Amino acid sequence: MTTAVSRPPLVRGGDRVIAGVCTGLARHLGWPVRMVRLGMVAAALAGGAGVVFYAWLWIMVPTADESAKRNARQPASPIAPAVSAPFAAPPTTATSPAATPQAASAAAGAVPADSWRNRVTGVRYGKEILLGAGLLLAAGILIARVLGVDVPLGTLIPVAAILGGAAIAWMQLDETRRAGLVDKTKADQAGGWARLAAGLALVVAGVLVMVSGSGSWEQTWLALLSSVAVLGGVALVLLPWGLKFWRDLETERAGRVRATERAEIAAHLHDSVLQTLALIQRRAGNETDVVRLARAQERELRGWLYRDPGKDAGQLSEGINAAAAEVEDSLGHAVEVVTVGDCAMSERREALVQAAREAMLNAARHGGGAVSVYLEVTDDAAEVFVKDRGPGFDPDAVPADRLGVRESIVGRMNRHGGTATITSSPDGTEVRLRLPLSAVASAAAASNSNGEARL
Amino acid sequence: MTSTEAGSPAPGIRVVIVDDHAIFRSGLKADLDPNIIVAGEAGTVEEAVAVIAAVRPDVVLLDVHLPGGLGGGGRDVLAGSAPLLGSTRFLALSVSDAAEDVVSVIRAGARGYVTKTISGAEISDAVRRVAGGDAVFSPRLAGFVLDAFGTAPADIADDELDRLSARELEVMRLIARGYSYKEVAKELFISIKTVETHVSAVLRKLQLSSRHELTRWAAERRLL
Repeated sequence: MTTAVSRPPLVRGGDRVIAGVCTGLARHLGWPVRMVRLGMVAAALAGGAGVVFYAWLWIMVPTADESAKRNARQPASPIAPAVSAPFAAPPTTATSPAATPQAASAAAGAVPADSWRNRVTGVRYGKEILLGAGLLLAAGILIARVLGVDVPLGTLIPVAAILGGAAIAWMQLDETRRAGLVDKTKADQAGGWARLAAGLALVVAGVLVMVSGSGSWEQTWLALLSSVAVLGGVALVLLPWGLKFWRDLETERAGRVRATERAEIAAHLHDSVLQTLALIQRRAGNETDVVRLARAQERELRGWLYRDPGKDAGQLSEGINAAAAEVEDSLGHAVEVVTVGDCAMSERREALVQAAREAMLNAARHGGGAVSVYLEVTDDAAEVFVKDRGPGFDPDAVPADRLGVRESIVGRMNRHGGTATITSSPDGTEVRLRLPLSAVASAAAASNSNGEARL
Repeated sequence: MTSTEAGSPAPGIRVVIVDDHAIFRSGLKADLDPNIIVAGEAGTVEEAVAVIAAVRPDVVLLDVHLPGGLGGGGRDVLAGSAPLLGSTRFLALSVSDAAEDVVSVIRAGARGYVTKTISGAEISDAVRRVAGGDAVFSPRLAGFVLDAFGTAPADIADDELDRLSARELEVMRLIARGYSYKEVAKELFISIKTVETHVSAVLRKLQLSSRHELTRWAAERRLL
């Protein structure tokens, strides 16, 4: 038993026979599901009170997904509701065995029949029991007729047809809502339409038979014709209203999406730009700090605004950009990166990034003006060029104890089968790094690296 | 034509600055060389079109992002000033170096593209170059061009507009690597004038090419 305070919210559960009302009620009240179901059946037999109660709860009580969506206020990102909804249901022990096959079938885009079967097996013979109860009821009626009791079969059959049709159509509504979140395959839609049509046909037939009093075909046709005419007229009148309502709904939805986006942008600006501006105001006296802060913030904002959503993570260009950002942050020196082409990261390419980073550090430390970095990835090789506009130096005159150039750049590239050349002139220095990408080249590189390692 | 880097064609180049930030406009005015005369300023698309038509400057320094017009910013100014494109040259300026901004203004008719962070001397140099009829490519624009056209040189059979020649590719690569025109000329043992010719040819291809890869590249970045 749970106390009133910790009682879970009243939502329709995923473990369902018809619409999950009993499951939800049982979870809310803390009673066993079986008890609630038996109680509901008993109430249904008592003059149909259970049926009315069930239908009322079906309409009024949201499913777990809907309730989660309704409660999710200001999601962090526009995709948050879609992502969080399937996991928002309270994970109780009662749902977990049944929820898993459902989720699996929905994710696989299975036709409704499959999910139906899954559900039946999930609820262990629940359907069979229901079917048996229905057959027993029919048998009882037949026996009653044989015994001479007057059963208004002419009314009962149409009513049963109407109820059955309505149930099928409503279940369909639930189904599409749930499946719509996960995926919309054509098979699903076709099955859905078929079920909707079947439900509609049952209801219409039931209503017709009931109204025309199970009379002759002639009367039935006439009634059908007139009802279709009436329905057509009503549809004609209501169509513009319906369309307007639909459009309003769409507009409102679009507005909500915009509001979410806006909230996201505001949150981002607050976390990044406003903080940086505050920092800049406090450090207005220190020029290098201000430049560094502004530069770092610019880079961050640029990355956020213009990031390429099609680009996969862990690419070589990202590594180069990150290295440039690191150099900018540590030395406060602008590093302009241009990349053409891209490839996935690997251990050897990591070495290329490290060598490029070393070259950038040197350029920023000793060179003047902006440091230009250019990465070009072709089918054969990845090349990185790091150029500065400093006074230049003689690569051969670098003392042997200075590991920066010799070991971290040239040695590292050689070990991984690449090459590094350094050209320096009074206009500036350029470091060119080349790393072959093809398998043949890397095999040759491996033997080469053995030789290099011994040196 | 002289081969000096800033071969000033006229004693004074008349420019119009189009930018919606007044602070940036005044800062740029102060930064420009004294022989560049600011003949007008504008802050919106409509103002810009009117001022450019009235002043008829040699060069328009055009911000890519502008209020007004059809929402296209600098592109709308270029569309509105289409009859003047023969006599007035446009140099695009932007804080953004997103591909869509850069390539769309170039394809609309701008002769060059520089980011707002470059120094006053560099902007003055770019203005002189554009006024002289040449194209101004920043390293990043060169990178976009290489990305869009691919890094393989053209075969002879190929449509001339759709590929870059081997020489043009070399020039673009060097510019992307941060080389100035002078350094490119020195590296390739050609004259600065030849470098400028190559860059102008690339600009023309970028503006006119309907190459399949270019359109696909643009579509991927939602440029079209």
